[in-house]
Amino acid sequence: MGTPLLFATLGGVLSERAGVIHLGMEGIMLVSALVTFVVDLQTGSKVLALVGAMMAAGALSGLHGFVCISLRGNQIASGLALALFGTGLSGLFGDALIGSTVTSLDRIPIPGLELIPILGSAFFNQDWMVYLSYVLVAGLWFVLFHTNWGLQIRSVGEAPIVCDALGLSVAKIRYICVIFGGMLIGLGGAYFPMVLTSFWVDDLTAGRGWIAVALVIFAFWHPGKAFWGAYLFGAAIAFQLQAQVMGLKIPSYILEMFPYLLTIVVLTVVTVRNRRAGQTFMPAALGLPFFRGDKH
Amino acid sequence: MSVQVAVTVGSIVLALILGSVLLALVGVNPMEAYPSVGALMFFDQWGWQDLFLKMTPLLLTGLGVAIAAQLNLWNIGAEGQLYLGAIATTWLALEFSESLDAHFMLPILLIGTFVAGGMWAAIPAGLRSWFGVNEIITTLLLNYVAISLADYLLFGAWRDPSTLNFPMTRSFGESSYLPMIGSTTVHWGLPLGILLAVLTWILLKSTTIGFQIRVAGDNLSAADYSGFNTKNLLFIVLVLSGAVAALAGMTEVAGIHHRLQQNFSINYGYTGIIVSRLARNHPIGVIGTAFLLAVIFVGGELLQVEYQLPIAVVYLFEGLLLFTVIGSELFLSYRLRRRVAV
Repeated sequence: MGTPLLFATLGGVLSERAGVIHLGMEGIMLVSALVTFVVDLQTGSKVLALVGAMMAAGALSGLHGFVCISLRGNQIASGLALALFGTGLSGLFGDALIGSTVTSLDRIPIPGLELIPILGSAFFNQDWMVYLSYVLVAGLWFVLFHTNWGLQIRSVGEAPIVCDALGLSVAKIRYICVIFGGMLIGLGGAYFPMVLTSFWVDDLTAGRGWIAVALVIFAFWHPGKAFWGAYLFGAAIAFQLQAQVMGLKIPSYILEMFPYLLTIVVLTVVTVRNRRAGQTFMPAALGLPFFRGDKH
Repeated sequence: MSVQVAVTVGSIVLALILGSVLLALVGVNPMEAYPSVGALMFFDQWGWQDLFLKMTPLLLTGLGVAIAAQLNLWNIGAEGQLYLGAIATTWLALEFSESLDAHFMLPILLIGTFVAGGMWAAIPAGLRSWFGVNEIITTLLLNYVAISLADYLLFGAWRDPSTLNFPMTRSFGESSYLPMIGSTTVHWGLPLGILLAVLTWILLKSTTIGFQIRVAGDNLSAADYSGFNTKNLLFIVLVLSGAVAALAGMTEVAGIHHRLQQNFSINYGYTGIIVSRLARNHPIGVIGTAFLLAVIFVGGELLQVEYQLPIAVVYLFEGLLLFTVIGSELFLSYRLRRRVAV
């Protein structure tokens, strides 16, 4: 349950580190889930399905980038447009697919590690996309904090004017981060038909994209913290589903509120603690369009 | 002004063209579909009445979003506020409409829903004002909570056992029906929305608090230095925003369905964000843009009936329109800049 959240949160982290808010995650995830489903149904190849999903997600993110970076439109509004547009696309083109099914990925236990008590089977007896997500956490952390590229990305998110003066192309770096970030979000969408639900239903991702938007904030725009955040919320959603199966005496619709209320509570705690500490982890230029002619 | 209108019309046309490409992909001929949908919408009695019916919730949610936007706050929770308003209206109507007549019932519904919506919005408003919690995320997440709450009631305590498979409450007593205008099927929710839009504009233009809101909207720290209590302002504006959006829930259940049922809102709350944005958050402007979005809704409905397309086609067009509108704003700022320079 945490894996799609993790992919999407990592994508959000990458994009927002460069200064562009990715609010349209829900739309990207729905479209990439649809593409995965269709390609898998037509070709039977999981790899092709994943490539298709990432291309679709990259294209939609490119559109978001075009509006936010080149046209300097409002990032929040553009993200909302993307969420609506993506929901519309997946609903319109997915209508004919309702009822069809694809196969799910197999679990591949990692010898040795899966035998660790409790956590072993939870983390190391999974499908290969889960392992890919671990690699991406480490990879994104390394790129962002230990390479020159990462330094450039973070600088563009903090002080685009300075970067521009130093001869970096703010627009180019932002485009790259938005599109690659979008592809990661697309992996999150692809995970639904790949593993979680083998049949197509309308609104497959059911609001997870929005939770990922919030997760980016409480991961402090950090890939490592995104990992824990995503699995905490994955656990919350899994608990909700499990409680329904076990027939706990809490009505299912009240349980459904649980992950959302938890998000609000955690967000509040995190915000208050940061304010007390006088710290802000948010990239300084997040949400602000950059224009060379602007003088600040 | 004329440039603004031209750019807005241009972005609408562009959205329609892009949408037609996607329609063609699912096998609908847009050259045939657009004119036939347009004719049904504007020249058929059912069509134009439906336009005004769809315009009502869009106007109220759009106005709610626009109120928050005066302080650069993003209320993305209009959908949840609408649901909460519908829940409040339903509770009041089920509880009292047998014993009270319409003269008492309608004001009770109006005030009760307004207060309930305000209280609901007080959660993100308080968190934002006093703890600095991002209101975009909290208002958004509360949408899911409100919808789950409605489902909980619909599948539980309020479910009408006589409606076999459809989760809905029993019908309200007639004293809770919003009256119709003349012999049409358009209820008085629409004039109510227009009145509130005008009142909001007057409040902003010619009252002290309106002045404070305008100053704080331009520059929050300047307002702070002037000694305005900006924390209270943020709180009040976000609460008002939610209260107005909640009224959309009242007009839907008391004006049209006369009961609470599942999925009664076709993303009216989210669409309110587009309505407000398209009007550049002007309270009078939202009257016009709410009508425009109603055209998309009714158009989508007609496409559903005539071509068996899913309701998602509405979201598709909304997304496209919002994209073209935001994208076009650059051209507006260019024009303004040049004129200022000359």
